[in-house]
Amino acid sequence: MFEFFKLNRQILGMNCRNLEYIRPFNRSRAKKLADNKLLSKKILKKNNISVPKLLAKISNLQELESFDWQSLPESFALKPNRGFGGEGILVVYGKKKPARNPAERDSVAGGDKNDAWIKADRTLISIEDLKTHIRNILDGSFSLSGTPDTAFFEERLQLLKLFKPYSYKGIPDIRVIVFNKVPLMAMLRLPTKSSSGKANLQQGAIGVGIDIATGTTTTAVLGKNKMIDYIPGTRLLLSGIKIPYWNDILKLSVRAQEISNLGFLGADIAIDKINGPTIIELNARPGLSIQIANLSGLKRRLEKVKDLKIKTIEKGVRVGKDLFGGEIEEELEEISGRRVIGTVEKVKLISKDGQETEVEAKIDTGAYSTSIDIELAKQLGFEKLLENFSKISLANYNLKPENESFIKKDFLEKYKISLPELEDISIIFSSNGASIRPVVKLNLIIDSIEITSLINIADRKYLNYSMIIGKRNLGKFLIDVNK
Amino acid sequence: MNTSPIIDFFLHQGVPFETVILILMLPIIATFIAFLRQVVGIKAFGIYAPLIVTFAFLATNGLKYGIAIFVTVIFTGMLMRFVLKPFRLLYLPRVALMLTAVAILILGVLVIGGEFRRTGLAAVSIFPILIMITIVEKFVAVQIEKGDKVAIVLAIETLFISIIGFYIASSENLRSFLALYPWIIFFTIPINILLGKWTGLRISEYFRFHKIMKNL
Repeated sequence: MFEFFKLNRQILGMNCRNLEYIRPFNRSRAKKLADNKLLSKKILKKNNISVPKLLAKISNLQELESFDWQSLPESFALKPNRGFGGEGILVVYGKKKPARNPAERDSVAGGDKNDAWIKADRTLISIEDLKTHIRNILDGSFSLSGTPDTAFFEERLQLLKLFKPYSYKGIPDIRVIVFNKVPLMAMLRLPTKSSSGKANLQQGAIGVGIDIATGTTTTAVLGKNKMIDYIPGTRLLLSGIKIPYWNDILKLSVRAQEISNLGFLGADIAIDKINGPTIIELNARPGLSIQIANLSGLKRRLEKVKDLKIKTIEKGVRVGKDLFGGEIEEELEEISGRRVIGTVEKVKLISKDGQETEVEAKIDTGAYSTSIDIELAKQLGFEKLLENFSKISLANYNLKPENESFIKKDFLEKYKISLPELEDISIIFSSNGASIRPVVKLNLIIDSIEITSLINIADRKYLNYSMIIGKRNLGKFLIDVNK
Repeated sequence: MNTSPIIDFFLHQGVPFETVILILMLPIIATFIAFLRQVVGIKAFGIYAPLIVTFAFLATNGLKYGIAIFVTVIFTGMLMRFVLKPFRLLYLPRVALMLTAVAILILGVLVIGGEFRRTGLAAVSIFPILIMITIVEKFVAVQIEKGDKVAIVLAIETLFISIIGFYIASSENLRSFLALYPWIIFFTIPINILLGKWTGLRISEYFRFHKIMKNL
């Protein structure tokens, strides 16, 4: 019996959510914004927040009849403007080429399948099917109050490679509950076959709890109530996934709350391959299953945050992390005395005049030293050095591995005075010949640790990352390939 | 039977006793349904559907016929969804077609009832039947929005609430109590205010969240 009371104190139930949080904190104006997807998209966009691109909208039957179906891309999402709980959303993943044999085509039930798109379950959907679906949307079959609605097409986001093995067809998204500018709880929602590619728990998606402090997944629930460890049918562990851009996601969710004025907000954020964290939807009545996914209650968290006065987004995020984050990573970091970083990290480089430049760097344990791109080096104030360096003729040197130490010594003796910023040179021998790279001293901040290091400057124009960090600078870190 | 003066007054004015009692029952059943939703967590199709089905049950001759008609309605609703799916119809015409199908089937059930000398079924007055047929619209709406499974669960919950409502409303004790003290229906006002302010977990939520309990 005592345990029941405990549950009652910690878990947020439907009654409490409606009466104590939605009613007083989500005013009807703000709710209207959240319930109107097109409007919230517009307003978020105006505030420079990344949202999925609107392709077209259809608000009445005339527009439906005159709609140019050829204007649609191969993949898109069709949504009701005022839909609720993921109902009425139709996602297609590709276009089927028209059948060659017209007789065969006519024999297919459902009329003209000339133009057809492919749904998550591999079934085809024809223009006629789309039209019926849109008519139902216009009729208000999926809208909250059953009133006539608008249908719209939006671009389908590009799936991040990291999530590919975990999600069936659709794009996973991250639900963050924000209250009083503090992110309280988060969950990664993975579409499954039974949710037909939609990231909605009610329809059978997987919800994975996330540690607010680190963005690492913890426990997972399938559908409404089944706790799972692995993706069904696979050996893919659901815990320990590092959500990329975690800080940005939390900041984005708090920012969305500021803009929308929803005191108690469920922000749905997906990570687009190109645009990064993108807000897909704002939710004025966020569901309660997030508590099961995290095996933790929201009520206590809400009460803790209620009386705080938080001015900035950064502060809100920090409070959320400190109050509600677990200590998984901290524990590891404490034991080893090292920070855990991923294979790609944001690194701050400090230029000579003290300015910070942030770049994404590849953590390369196969390289010994750290190197940055010429262009980047120029930005950091080494323009002059590079200019003078390129003037030096290297023809006098016989670039062979056995001459390396001699060349270095000779080179530095000759040019050290004219090139004061040059700390060293490094000679790189590779299959397409040898080259000499200038080495400079630079301060960099990796995961809040500042390091002063010698860094060589190379032409990385055609490489993915303008910076790689080699073994020499990684002594203070542990690398988590999942991060 | 002892009756309160106000009831006597109603009867004197020519309002039938049965009508007075049923009308007085309405706030009690409604409060009961609100209680089931807020405290127990049984959703059903809102408040109107279980309420009206309860009264339809009261108006049919015996609960079993009422249940038979209700089940027929829901069953037809399910069946017709599959039948009508390939035609891709808009909402209202589709519901109209469903109502047609339900009407025909109910007629069939009544005829079969007559064949088996179940005269009670055929003698059911038309209004409760019509009331239950209209439940199909609620059913179809939920089917489209939330899928078959949810629609069936909600239909069963509606049936469940209506059956209990039926027993409450046909309880002789309650009826004579109401006849004696009709003013007690005003007690539903504070009860509903309390229910409206109730923020505790619903009983169903204890089950829903029981897995978290071990972790707290």
